[in-house]
Amino acid sequence: MADDLKELLFRLCAARGTPGDETAAAEAAAKELAPYGGTVKDALGNVSAAFGPENAEGNLLLEAHLDQIGLVVTSVDGNGFLRVDKCGGADPRVLPGSAVTVKGKKALSGIVCCTPPHLSDGKDDEVIPVGKSFVDIGLSKEKAEELVSPGDRITFSTKPVSLAGSRVSSAGLDNRAGAAALVRCAQMLYKTGLKRRVTVLLSTREETGGQGASTGAFSAEPSEAICVDVGFACQPGVPPEKSHPLGGGPMVGFAPVLNRRISENLVKTAVKNNIPYKRDVMGGSTGTNSDNIAVVRSGVPTGMVSIPLRYMHTPAEVIDLRDIENTALLIAEYIKGDF
Amino acid sequence: MHSFDMLRKLCLADGVSGDEDTVRNIILDEITPFADKIEISPLGNIIAFKSGGKRAPVKLMLSAHMDEVGFIITHITDGGLLKFDTVGGIDRRILPGKPVLLSGGVQGVIGVKPIHLLKKGEEGKSVPLDELYIDIGALSREEAEKYVVLASTAAFVSSFDTSHGMIKSKALDDRAGCAILVDIIKSDLKYDMVFVFTVQEEAGLNGAKTAANHVRPEAAVVVECTTAADVPGSENAVCRLGGGAAVSFMDRRTIYDKEYFKEAFAAAKAAKVKCQPKTAVAGGNDAGAIHACGSGVRTAAVSVPCRYIHSPAGMISQKDFLSAEKVVTGLAERIAGGHA
Repeated sequence: MADDLKELLFRLCAARGTPGDETAAAEAAAKELAPYGGTVKDALGNVSAAFGPENAEGNLLLEAHLDQIGLVVTSVDGNGFLRVDKCGGADPRVLPGSAVTVKGKKALSGIVCCTPPHLSDGKDDEVIPVGKSFVDIGLSKEKAEELVSPGDRITFSTKPVSLAGSRVSSAGLDNRAGAAALVRCAQMLYKTGLKRRVTVLLSTREETGGQGASTGAFSAEPSEAICVDVGFACQPGVPPEKSHPLGGGPMVGFAPVLNRRISENLVKTAVKNNIPYKRDVMGGSTGTNSDNIAVVRSGVPTGMVSIPLRYMHTPAEVIDLRDIENTALLIAEYIKGDF
Repeated sequence: MHSFDMLRKLCLADGVSGDEDTVRNIILDEITPFADKIEISPLGNIIAFKSGGKRAPVKLMLSAHMDEVGFIITHITDGGLLKFDTVGGIDRRILPGKPVLLSGGVQGVIGVKPIHLLKKGEEGKSVPLDELYIDIGALSREEAEKYVVLASTAAFVSSFDTSHGMIKSKALDDRAGCAILVDIIKSDLKYDMVFVFTVQEEAGLNGAKTAANHVRPEAAVVVECTTAADVPGSENAVCRLGGGAAVSFMDRRTIYDKEYFKEAFAAAKAAKVKCQPKTAVAGGNDAGAIHACGSGVRTAAVSVPCRYIHSPAGMISQKDFLSAEKVVTGLAERIAGGHA
């Protein structure tokens, strides 16, 4: 199982998709969901699959965002270097010296410019803002302009790798981990004699505002929703009240915008089925698509499950496969539990 | 057309200073059939003698270093994270979020606090070195100890990309120099020459110093990769990608032999390849140890210009690599033949 899940996750990670340009990621995800009720793409590029009785009273929406942070080309300078800006919450501290892939007319390998230590300017405690960073694709201005246009997207080139135990690292685990959990969940639920209609929505543009989740939820008209995203795993410098251990199980969200009944029922499901879990408590908004989905149409009772992840928004995000599997299992059992 | 297969093999191998065995073995496998005599010095340098058509009037040593910058594990935390020291000059700003490979083949990443949780005063600031660590996915010290021991080394991870006439990879400094020397040793030489592949350049030129002591050359040509800072925001270009081999007159460690400096340009002209002076007194290389060895060694440095040197992804021009190879070959012949 763990190997299958890892392969699924790596396939999803390998297909890149930045906000507003999720086509490759969407196609890869749609392929995974094809056996579970077909897939549809809407105006904003969302992927969805619906299964279970069509005339059922309740319709449960399971949502995970499909996009990942990246950079966007803003212009080509006189020497062929690409000026860039954020596409989602890119972290300027991890950019210098990073290998990147520019999605121009074809995929181009590039490097985010950095100053060598031999010429150190004495400013090494300062970080260059994303908007003042450059990407070098090793081409002249003319050749670069032929292959790259403003608006083209850039992603980290890091490949998914296995770490110790059941941990893996990749760029874009935020939120391919969530997408993988929902694909797994669909695998577990499909053909189990569901009483409710279930819609799996893999939404676009979360990293730039969550427009995909809003429109996708509008179309699905759910009576209830559960969002799956990544959350902060424990690591040095991260306060314990804002994080949960890697491998410690899914984090069940509690926040004003989240429906407390759903949250408590998720906890009951975890306890009943011996699934490790953590209560993840937030005083304000959740910073996830839950905030958007809960206020779609007349309002949707919404729950949230987060998968602990280290180094969010870097090329080297780290996750524990067991947490993905347990997230899928928790949601599948919750649905079967008929609350 | 040059295949760059040897350079690929050398760059993708890991050899952090003091841990160069893998790189040394690759080079030994490649050059052994072509050298007349090979010695491994006590510190691990390869010293290869090759006879040419004629005895050399001037005893010439060509050198390139095998090691690369990287990391060494100094401590394992209770939570299974690895604290490290940098080996060689690495700007700490390039470290967060980069994948690394530990000796023994264990994958890791350099962890950093998520940008979402930065406190006031941390925004816009680079991460202090003592807050960084390598995460191999171990959840406890006991688990980490199954994969690493203290003093394990770690290197950057990269691909080797040859698109658009460039080469993008880690460790081009100085596997490019090693690959050039491997090519030359495989060719027919006009004069006898000594080729050395040194250890520990990035950690204090220890290999070069002892190699020169051992060989006692009269002249030396150091083949390197040097900083090309022809990039936005850099006031001092040093040398340019596409401008051909870069020849040094002076850097932070060495004042180079004036005649050899001129002769390098003559060799470039004769070979009809581009050549450029390194236009900044910056950096330093094995020449620093070699030129002041014994009674003194007349020394030149010919480099392949490299952007983003000492980072996970450097970039050189294929044409510059080939120019450097021609310049080194021509210059070596002139020096060994007593014509310079």
